[in-house]
Amino acid sequence: MSGISTQSTSASRALELFGAYSPIALTAALLALVPLRYSDSRTMMTVIIIGMVFAAYTIAFNIILGSTGQLFLCTGALAGIGGFTSAILTSKHGWPFIPSIVLGTLLASAIGGLLSWVAVRRSLDAIFTGVVTLAFSLSYENLVLGRKDLTGGENGLRVKAAADTILTTRVAPYYVFLGLVVVYLVLYRLIERSHVGWAFRSLRDDEVAAELSGVNVTRYRVYAGLIGSAMLGLAGALFAHNREFIAPTTFAFGAVDVRVLVMLVFGGIGSMLGPVIGAVALTIVDEALVDFAQLRIMLYGIVIVVLFLGFRRGVVPSVAALRERLTHLGRRSTPAAVKPPGSTPRS
Amino acid sequence: MKAVFLDGIVLGLQMGLLGVGLTLIYGLGGVLNLSHGQFAVLGAIVMARVLQHGASLWMAVPLGLLAAAAVAVLSDLTIMQPVYRLRGEARVLLGLLLMLGVGTIIDGYLEWKYPIEALNIRISGDPISIIGVPMRVGSLVASAIALAAGAALFVFLRYTTFGRATRSIIEDEEGARLCGINPALVRTLIFGLSGALAGLVAVSRAMTSPVISTAGVELTILALIVAVVGGLGSVSGAFVAGVLLGIVNTVSAFYIGTYITTIVLLAAAALTIVFRPAGILGRRA
Repeated sequence: MSGISTQSTSASRALELFGAYSPIALTAALLALVPLRYSDSRTMMTVIIIGMVFAAYTIAFNIILGSTGQLFLCTGALAGIGGFTSAILTSKHGWPFIPSIVLGTLLASAIGGLLSWVAVRRSLDAIFTGVVTLAFSLSYENLVLGRKDLTGGENGLRVKAAADTILTTRVAPYYVFLGLVVVYLVLYRLIERSHVGWAFRSLRDDEVAAELSGVNVTRYRVYAGLIGSAMLGLAGALFAHNREFIAPTTFAFGAVDVRVLVMLVFGGIGSMLGPVIGAVALTIVDEALVDFAQLRIMLYGIVIVVLFLGFRRGVVPSVAALRERLTHLGRRSTPAAVKPPGSTPRS
Repeated sequence: MKAVFLDGIVLGLQMGLLGVGLTLIYGLGGVLNLSHGQFAVLGAIVMARVLQHGASLWMAVPLGLLAAAAVAVLSDLTIMQPVYRLRGEARVLLGLLLMLGVGTIIDGYLEWKYPIEALNIRISGDPISIIGVPMRVGSLVASAIALAAGAALFVFLRYTTFGRATRSIIEDEEGARLCGINPALVRTLIFGLSGALAGLVAVSRAMTSPVISTAGVELTILALIVAVVGGLGSVSGAFVAGVLLGIVNTVSAFYIGTYITTIVLLAAAALTIVFRPAGILGRRA
């Protein structure tokens, strides 16, 4: 009797695990096919590699904004901390490749955690997080522009440490960054399914209730800041070595933060695959609009306004919800957005 | 040292003026205007274009202020409307993100149309000696503008009916409504006023250094820091914080390097948030 029941629980557990991780495997398999079409063209490979890097940034940002509701307006700066730290250590101080990346990642993580800690200890935290992280973005930019001796200022910095590795070949880097995206997605799922994920969900849904039921809101927000920032730093560092050249514009606010925000909101804040869908969609749109490159930033602005006015849960979840409603397919199950700004808590 | 200090006050008055516009809107509508700096730059570029067509400064400045105020009022009347229907944190978050979008649109437009445009206002005249330090006339006029605007704002908020209505909404929106004040109308007008103040910052800044078309984000961030250190919603706090931070800024730039100043300002904002979240003049600490 007991044998049968254990068997059925282990079977259902296996099924549950399959359900949890198969979307990641499927996404990875689909994305792995993309270079088949573009491997001849160095330009197109660069485009899709950058698309993957942005998918990684957006997953990281989703852990911070999507899981714990902290509006970090410094994704570019944190990736830049990883990128510049690793680049400066390898090219100016002769550090080997891997330790420099580890240090860049840790530094980004520490800064992100500190910013989180400063901002979330008070009420009004959406504002304070925004202000502190924006101020950090500007500090980072002035530091990069000001310390010309280390960063090369506006002329940028050549990064040669990975010159003979697969990171600088034509096709392989795509798979390196795809691997990174898969690792990030698995990490996202692991967190979601752990006790940390429970805490994240509870503080996201109702901060006061979470605090009252014993969830240390500050601690879990700082965790999200530490983890997400480490992911940003790591992706930024690898990207720096892949590009072999970084400049202030590589990680600039207008180049990274705005895009990452658009990607996340488009794909769906707080959903696992949303960032990947958003990154793929925006990479396609960008490529289609390549002749209007100067209009791009303005378009991003318009997209931000339209998305937040019309589709606060993300375009993909909204369309899915609409289709579900139209076909009366069971109960509505939209992936919960981070405190969807539209829904006032019922109290 | 005296010269550095005076330069700090000149910069600080600009920063105060910048922070005031932001803090007013936050106090009234709970909206953190992330495109405040872009409003200023927009005004500056309009002025620069008008000046290029041979118009005088007396013509260009009102047009620039009007343009900045118009964009602010337009944002309030259109995309901010759904924001006002929300309460609490949802309102703050949506307002902030929408204004970030507006700022990005203005930034993108300016970068596309006028990438190298800048507003530069030269005030001629021999340097005037203040406590033994020769000060440029431009700096003095800029400071006078900031002081005059601050004083006018003070009188307006304290002694006019409309100003009292504004303050009552900052204190308690529901209560003001019960007294027959229409918060929506006041909000729209204050948005316009805040836009015009942003344009005025562009004018006074342009007297000491050029205002370039890409300066929007930086100005917004400076305004945010000033507003947070002064206490969000506090007009006098914003001026005091502006002057303090201006002095801190110039002193650290003089002794360490320009690149360090934003880090110092960031630290100031962080320390304020941790130790005095209601601002330096705040009552509830």
